[in-house]
Amino acid sequence: MKACAVIFAFAALAAVTAVAEEKPVVIRGGRIVPVAGPEIEDGAVLIEGGKIKAVGKAGEVAVPAGAEVVDAAGGWILPGLIESLASMGLGDPYGPSGSDEVSNPDAAGLRILDGLNPFDKRFAQAARAGITALMIAPGRANVIGARTAVVKPRGATAEEMVLLEPAGVKLTLGEGPKDAFGPKGRLPGTRMGSAYVVRKALLEASEYVRKRKDHEAGVAAAKGKKGAEPPAAPPRNLDIEPLAELLEGRLTAFIECHRADDIQTALRLVDEFGFKAVLVGATEAYKSAGEIARRRIPVVVGVMGVGSKRVETKDVSPANAAKLVEAGIKTAIAAEDAMGLGAQEELALAAAMAVKGGLDRATALRAVTLTAAEILGVADRIGSLEPGKDADIVVFDGDPFHYKTRVARVFIDGREIKIPEPLRGPRP
Amino acid sequence: MKPRRLAAAGAALGLALVLTGAMGGEAARAGAAPGEAVTAVVGARLLTGTGAEIESGIVLIEGGKIKAVGKTGEVAVPEGAQIIDAAGRVVTPGLVDSHSHLGLGPSGGVTEDNEMSNPVTPELRIIDSIHPEGEGPDEFQFRRALAEGVTTVVARPGSGNVIGGQSAVLKLRGGTVDDMVILFPADMKMALGRKGYYASKGVMPTTKMGAAYLVRKALVEAAEYGEALERHAKAKAKDPKAAPPARDLGKEALLKVVRREIPVHIHVDSSDDIMTAVRLAGEFGFSRLSLGHAVESYKVAGELARRGVVVVVGPKMTTYDDDGRLVNLAGFLSDKGVQVDIMTDADVVQESFLRYQAAVAVKYGMDPGQALRSITLNPARTMGLEARIGSLEAGKDADLVVFDGDPFDVATRTLMVFIEGRVVYESGKEPR
Repeated sequence: MKACAVIFAFAALAAVTAVAEEKPVVIRGGRIVPVAGPEIEDGAVLIEGGKIKAVGKAGEVAVPAGAEVVDAAGGWILPGLIESLASMGLGDPYGPSGSDEVSNPDAAGLRILDGLNPFDKRFAQAARAGITALMIAPGRANVIGARTAVVKPRGATAEEMVLLEPAGVKLTLGEGPKDAFGPKGRLPGTRMGSAYVVRKALLEASEYVRKRKDHEAGVAAAKGKKGAEPPAAPPRNLDIEPLAELLEGRLTAFIECHRADDIQTALRLVDEFGFKAVLVGATEAYKSAGEIARRRIPVVVGVMGVGSKRVETKDVSPANAAKLVEAGIKTAIAAEDAMGLGAQEELALAAAMAVKGGLDRATALRAVTLTAAEILGVADRIGSLEPGKDADIVVFDGDPFHYKTRVARVFIDGREIKIPEPLRGPRP
Repeated sequence: MKPRRLAAAGAALGLALVLTGAMGGEAARAGAAPGEAVTAVVGARLLTGTGAEIESGIVLIEGGKIKAVGKTGEVAVPEGAQIIDAAGRVVTPGLVDSHSHLGLGPSGGVTEDNEMSNPVTPELRIIDSIHPEGEGPDEFQFRRALAEGVTTVVARPGSGNVIGGQSAVLKLRGGTVDDMVILFPADMKMALGRKGYYASKGVMPTTKMGAAYLVRKALVEAAEYGEALERHAKAKAKDPKAAPPARDLGKEALLKVVRREIPVHIHVDSSDDIMTAVRLAGEFGFSRLSLGHAVESYKVAGELARRGVVVVVGPKMTTYDDDGRLVNLAGFLSDKGVQVDIMTDADVVQESFLRYQAAVAVKYGMDPGQALRSITLNPARTMGLEARIGSLEAGKDADLVVFDGDPFDVATRTLMVFIEGRVVYESGKEPR
């Protein structure tokens, strides 16, 4: 096992250094769904230096000399899928370390990057399922969790994996923190307790921001005066800094909330403190679509309602995404990092469920690609098949929404991820 | 010839219903008692649950039972039968979830499936914990499951205890739990290899062998209890005043296992625990052993096939082998000759998603007929109910589902669900 990991590590390192010299790749013959533009029958994508160089009709994209040609006839060629909320890579096979820092409901000082294990097998599994980027966030125990990161499921170090860090700060309202801290007789044992933890932290952050501004003003004022000592800088506070960045508009809050009243609490906090927010999970968002739309807050919905014995997700509806989109809300779909149907392998199935719930197909595909990239703040790099973007590409062997369709090929930064044939998996 | 309300909804659904004969109006409404009439579901593609298919067939329903099944033209529809034109539709048996915790959601903050005061609780009866409509996270789940074609579930205690208690088989037809139960006790629920909770308390089992010991000890004691009962029966023949052994509810329940009156279901994950389960089954001669979850069952598939052990796959349908290959558990085991059932483990996966669980197995290569069998006839067989439910065959309960297409396709909608000949769900007529 260890030997395997070492070999894999070398392979991954070699991969990173080799990207620049790699020969061009042309994927051709399939139906291209660029997401950012109209579909192209019998299309081709040219990849050079890990980036998309050209997208067009097969006959119109020139194949450079020495290029590797991938025949995708009959396939559907899409941008790599993006999972907007996952907690993989945070467990520790050698001890009880998980995705939640349960020592304190406010864990704003933490960075997800410091707990990320690139060799968690689930990254490789996600990549083979066509997921080429994920936002890794802490679990749902902390009211204020760690700063999140958007990563690609490849590389031997967290630094190699990172696409964007910090991508945001994770907040959780509702059952999660209550269940984690309430039974220990600690705050928060109630929903209002969770809201209080956020409000108190944000008030302290406001004070922190004010002191820093005062200090900057003091420094500026001292500059002009001869012999004037610049004022001492206020002490840094790692627990508050991320929230200060939130208040300064430099960071986005990803607020996990499911029940309509928890969503309303999230909106109340946003109104009070005026920060950028995204609602995640958002099981009952369809009940508050107007309120969310009015504030132009994007939503990442989980459509599966997966999670044993969770009361807050019981009103899950396959129509959630469709109703949010109808209300004008920017909506991404997450598979949720959970058991069974919600497993990471079935993100396309999650989108198919949303289609059954009334979402149009194009919007559903966008919800697991470009819309997700926009919400996560990485749309300049990934999310669509456009020249200049990273060559993160997935080839399905048919309609991605049909249950018999499998992921045939996956490319991340132009490098193919090998997919072993499933054990006992003759084509249906 | 009065059209009934079903006809109006039928038209909206493209389900044309023609009523002939005397029955009509409100009397024929969903509440019509079994036995009042013959219903013929005509023209649908029949997926019988046995693995066989009929391209265009007829299902005749009478007295809550399936009276006949066959090709259109080969089954005579009696004069006066109520005809449901299902041309272009797909009819399957009512779906059977081989393992569920529906109705056991937290009440008063504590879930109802695990009695964590003692690792050995064979005396507990799952029906004493089930809320018949579901509450907490389960609220609406019975109804939603029915609307997706699930007519029968095997309700079991959780896996917190080594011996969890007695399971039941329920039909989702509403009413009280007693109205829903069709088999109790259905089997004895056990779990191996899950020692976390008691280990944290320093109480046995803190090891896997501790768990096996507790099962073995309980079964030996139950067998001895049985012998004491037999001795008493003999002694009583001579002396009517001979005192019987004190009643022991746990031993009474386990005695049914020892006497092969009920089968055993064991939650296991790793291959060593799977083989421990097999060892215990051999030692005590279980009438049948089914294994739940059994993620590493693919490593010992030959052993399981040879011994006729049933594997109930789910809620996770796939795993990865040591070389990183995705393993389609249901397809793999089925190919190796193991009887495979598929479960939701509701509410880990929603009860209503049962057919999508099977679809995942088909996606990765399982034969669709076998996959459907895994959510119909196979679980019926696991519970010893194959003579009554699980397939479209004459003489069985008229539990069937009319879909508007391939039941594995997410886009497919359920049009009608029958339980024992009664329409218990009709698209477009959902409550609320």
